[in-house]
Parts: sequence; structure tokens; C-alpha cells
Amino acid sequence: MGNSEIIFTIIAEFPYALYGSILVGALCAFLGVYIVAKRVVFLGAVLTQVSVLGLAITFLPFMIVSHTVGSLAVTIVSVIFLSRLLTGKKIPKDAVLGFIFVFAIAARILILQKTPKVEVSEIENLLRGDILFVTPELFYTMLGVFVAAIAVHGLFFKEFTYISFDAETASTQGFNANFWETLFYVIAAVVIAVATHMVGDIFVFGFLVIPPIAAMLLVKRVKVIFLVSFLIGVFAPIVGLFLAFKFDFPASPTIIAVASVVLILAWVLNTLRRK
Amino acid sequence: MTPLIEFHHATLGYGPKVVLQDVNFAINAGEYFGMVGPNGAGKTTLLRAILGTLKPLSGKVNIRNIADEPIRFGYVPQRDTIDYIMPYTVQEVVMMGRYRQIGIFHQPQPQDREIVLESLRHVDIENLRDRPFKDLSGGQKQRVLIARALATKPAVLILDEPTNGMDLSSRIAILELIHKLHEEDKLTVILVTHLLDDVANYVKRMAMVEWNFFQVGEVDEVLTEKNLSSLYQMPVQVAHVNGNKIILAGGRSGK
Repeated sequence: MGNSEIIFTIIAEFPYALYGSILVGALCAFLGVYIVAKRVVFLGAVLTQVSVLGLAITFLPFMIVSHTVGSLAVTIVSVIFLSRLLTGKKIPKDAVLGFIFVFAIAARILILQKTPKVEVSEIENLLRGDILFVTPELFYTMLGVFVAAIAVHGLFFKEFTYISFDAETASTQGFNANFWETLFYVIAAVVIAVATHMVGDIFVFGFLVIPPIAAMLLVKRVKVIFLVSFLIGVFAPIVGLFLAFKFDFPASPTIIAVASVVLILAWVLNTLRRK
Repeated sequence: MTPLIEFHHATLGYGPKVVLQDVNFAINAGEYFGMVGPNGAGKTTLLRAILGTLKPLSGKVNIRNIADEPIRFGYVPQRDTIDYIMPYTVQEVVMMGRYRQIGIFHQPQPQDREIVLESLRHVDIENLRDRPFKDLSGGQKQRVLIARALATKPAVLILDEPTNGMDLSSRIAILELIHKLHEEDKLTVILVTHLLDDVANYVKRMAMVEWNFFQVGEVDEVLTEKNLSSLYQMPVQVAHVNGNKIILAGGRSGK
């Protein structure tokens, strides 16, 4: 297949894969800036596993909710619980996240072993998400989440950045730090739950971490970091999907590889600039 | 003098844990008030009660309104409570002090930018406005945080351990700046520190804070050898050199 033929095939045959992965890539890359800045990178990994657990729960015989609703519900409840623990000082953040991480994986395995509905391997495939087989329903759900999340962050950018930078002083000025922290985590939970169902946990976690770090290495202004991270989130899925089709690679790992190359280039540039 | 802040038999703490009991004192408008005590004595707890982020377990903390509006506090936190990953510029950090006045759903206006520049000029760091905050020295960072507090247009400036971890010249420069803000701008200032020398030569009235030991008064009444020796459980001397008080702790020479 020629390059133009590949591009035509992707746009014509897999539009939801292309636009869906761009939506997820850009949004995760944007939210990831806060996650990296708040030093809760492991939260991304934890929430992807929690959302997968939520999906697994929907396979239980007595559950009548859809996969997306189940995943969303479990992730949001977990994140409200987590936002309390992450702002407390009794237990270290990483210990809390570590516990939730292993619990989510263990619980998922136990649930899947006992579900009579379908084969475990089929469920595992569904839980991992598949970029190439994004359904229109999932895509439009993700589009709604994208618009809502960007709108909330656009409206309250100064509140989110202030709380992230110096929650204590913000509280003395009357900002309810707990409210803004919880709102941020709930938005992150919704995005991660829907995105994980759609494109899989590796893609989601990768884009929560790789583009923000690359952007922080490349530019030195906060608003530009958000913009560059967002643009890497748009660019990497397009190039990654193209390369996956061209060389017959699996889509998700190829997209992550492209983002990783951008990160390595950013690190090299940053190192050269400092010499 | 009019009391701005009054503690009436206030017991302060967190849940079942009482940190300070039966606290009674007032801070007057226009005062330069110091709060000292060892680490963990309850200074930050007192501060939170003043700032309204901690309600007393019993008793009252009255904060007087000015012109029917709640007092606006300009708070300068300890520098280690701030996150340094993101490269906010000095100007962006000081603008955060305006966020409350700007209001939710609104963006900074030209008058907010002018107040930010005015605050930067006031602490002599206008030239640093485009520099990343995280790349500044300790003294420069402290000036930025003071400028941010000034940008709120406060009636009371509260500083929590502002000279912690600074070299001597930066420390004196910050103390002189705070003194200037008090003298020239007539700001009410509350300085919280564990460094006795910081309050000994700048503050007029102070509180010495420790569990079972809470004393308020003029610096000369509170910073006595007897009080300090009892508070720190070691011999402490208060010496005078060139009109300045110097606190000398025990140890090898103090015996």
C-alpha cells in the first residue's frame, strides 16, 4: 500500500479509530500536565486499573448496567475516596495508590474467573480496549467527555492551576481546595474510565505521562506546556496509526512508541540547550 | 488601639487532638505582632485560626470587619509548601494574589496587571517579572510571595517562617522589607517564626507559643531569660549588642 492509500484507508475505514485516538491522546496529554505537576503520575495507572475493574464488574451475572456506566461509576467512587486520602498526611500518597492498584488488579482477576457469561480471553480483550474497533457510541461518548472536560478546564484554569501550585494560600483566600481537587480528580476519572474502555489502559496511561514530560522539557511557560502537550497528544496518534498500518504493527504500542520518540527528542534538545 | 483579631478562651486543635487551650489575646490594627515558639508548638494552628481555615474547638476567634467587609489577609506561606515543578513566571505567581478579586469565570483585567506590577515594584523585584519563579534564590522567592500577598490589597499581612533557610544577608533584607511595609504602608503585620532573633529586634508585641505556656506581651516582657530557659529547657541568655538583642542558647559555652 502506498502512503496516500494508507491515509485514505484510515480515514475511510477507521474514522472512529483515528478521531477517537486523537480525542483521547489530546485530552489525556492535557490532563496529564496536572497529574505530572501534582506528582501523582501513578494515579493515572491506578485509575486505568480501577476503570478496568469497573468494566469487569459489569460482567457479573446480577449486573444490568452497561460497561461504560459500570466503569464510570466504580472509577468516580474510587476517585472521591482517593482524593480524600491523597490530601491527607497519615498515609503516603504512593502507598495509597499502590494498594488501590494491586487491589483493582486482584479483584478483576477474581471476578473474571467466576463470571459465567463469556470466555475470559474475550473479556480481557474488551477490557484492554482496541483502537481499531472503536464503536460510534463510544466515540460520541468520548467526544462529549472531551468537550465537557476542556470546557471546565478552560473556565476554571486559574483555579485549577492555583490549587495545584499552592493550595494552602489559595485556601486562605477563600478557595475551597478540597472542592477543586475533587473536581479535578472526578474529571480525570471520567476521562480515564471512558478512554480506557475505548483505547485500552496502556494508551491512556502512556498519554497521561509521556506528552506532559516532553512538553515540560521543550518549553518554559505554563500555558505553552499545556498547549504543546495537547498538540503531541494530537500528533502522535495520527503518525502512530499511519506507521501501524504501513508496517503492520499493533496500533496502540506504535502510537506510544511515536510519543516516546518525541519524548526522547525533547530530552536530547533540552540537554543540548543546557550545554 | 482597636482589636482586629480577638481570641476569647479559644481551644484550638484537630478533631480530638487539642493543640492550644484557653487562648486569650488580641492583635490591634496597625500592630507588628510576632509569634514565636519551638517547632510543633502550635504557631501554625494559631495562624489557621486567624485565617479562618481552622474553627476553634471551643471559645471564639473574632475577626473584625473593616467597612462592613471581612478583613482581607495577605498570606505568605512557608516556601516548602509550594510546588516548584511548573515554571510559573514571577508575574503569574503574583497574579494569583488577584484571583479572588478577579472572581470565578473572569480573567485578569488591565487594572489587575497594574496592581501586580505595583506589588513587584514595592518589593523591588519588577526586573524579575518574566523569570521563572522556581529558578529564583530563596530571598527572591520570598519577595515574590510577599508581592503576591500585597497584590490581594490586604489589611493584615501574615508571614509564616519567612526567613527559614536563608543566608544572613537575605534574612536581614527580608526582615527590613517587612519592617518597611509595616512602617510606611501602616500594614498590620503578623510574623510567625521559630527564630527568636527575627522578632527580638523588629516586633513590638508578641506571643510565645507552647503547650501549657502561652504568654502575650511586649517583647521585653516576654523574651526574658527566665521564660526562654523554661520554654526551651536549657540555659538561654538575652544579650544586648549595639542596641540589638541577641539570644544565646546554652550548650558548650552556655553550660
